[in-house]
Amino acid sequence: MDLLDGYKKAWDNQSEETNKVSKVDIYKMAHSKSSSIVKKIFIIGILELIFWATINIFFTGSSYGDIYEELHLNTIVTLSIYLHYLAIILFLVLFYKNYKSISISDNTKSLIAKILNTRKTVQYYVYFNLGYLILANIVVMCFVFSDLDGLIQYYNNHGINTSIANKTQLLVSLIVAMVFILSFMFLILWLFYKIVYGSLIKRLNKNYQELVKLDDNS
Amino acid sequence: MQTKQEQQFLNDFEQNQNIVHKVCRIYTSNQDAHNDLFQEITIQLWKNYSKFRGDAKFSTWMYRVALNTAISLYRKSSRSIKTQDISDVAFKIQSHDYDDTEEQQLKALYKAIHKLNDIDKALIFLYLEDKPYREISETLGISEVNARVKMNRAKDKLKKVLNP
Repeated sequence: MDLLDGYKKAWDNQSEETNKVSKVDIYKMAHSKSSSIVKKIFIIGILELIFWATINIFFTGSSYGDIYEELHLNTIVTLSIYLHYLAIILFLVLFYKNYKSISISDNTKSLIAKILNTRKTVQYYVYFNLGYLILANIVVMCFVFSDLDGLIQYYNNHGINTSIANKTQLLVSLIVAMVFILSFMFLILWLFYKIVYGSLIKRLNKNYQELVKLDDNS
Repeated sequence: MQTKQEQQFLNDFEQNQNIVHKVCRIYTSNQDAHNDLFQEITIQLWKNYSKFRGDAKFSTWMYRVALNTAISLYRKSSRSIKTQDISDVAFKIQSHDYDDTEEQQLKALYKAIHKLNDIDKALIFLYLEDKPYREISETLGISEVNARVKMNRAKDKLKKVLNP
């Protein structure tokens, strides 16, 4: 007799739940608020999309208009704003489509894959923004390097004392400031994702890997 | 006032609620967490009830939704207050064929299942509930052949925990 047979018999003979839930309580529960991981991922995802859209519109928006005009960057900035609107719409549509495809009646493997996919849409949007941020900084820097006199002129017009003799110093401080700000931003973002998504996704990823492992033929 | 669909749902749920309790027992270890998971499964069942077309039995669909919720949607509560351990109250043998050895075995079985990972828990649970391999493979989304192979591995793991 197999070791499990005895335990299986005990399982079959276990009594029904003593604390049976009444229809009234089932009704109340069914209409209460869900606290599922999917719902949390959806809310955080929407907040992220709004956050990044706001940041981009703010940085490429009117407050920096002067300096862009002075550096003849207006066309590029306008173009990038439109590109961003397009990207936001595209990511929102993708995010919503993936979210709607999640069905609890699916099999477990496909359900987890769809949840992780929805999460990934937001992740790609964040990557897109980070990539854009780096690219935008490089482009602006290139323009600044090619027209340093223009920048000095702009600074002087706005009461910031910068002499032509300090060109190298100005260049170095610009690069250092850019690297510092970007590194700081990456650190904050990395921490944010570790904290927010770390515990939320960890178990899902683990279970998904487990199912993938189950379905390989080793 | 409840709709006809709600009444149907409540009837189906009430008759089959033991399935949900058993899933809660294997995926949680205290009464608070049990209640939390039970509530989340109830929400998911009701939210998706309109999509349940009746081409499968309600209980079959319930197994799938309950396991999916436990494995994929439910996040263990961070509440630190430890409420009564489930094993003290829930693992009982039916009174008409009460057997102390069996009750001890049942407690040991639940304790051992708690030590398995989420997916092995599902495999073992479906085995204990006498589900055919076809249904196991469809529920978890793996091939039937692999379901058989991995079931044997999960059983071996369980045996090792039960009888180290």
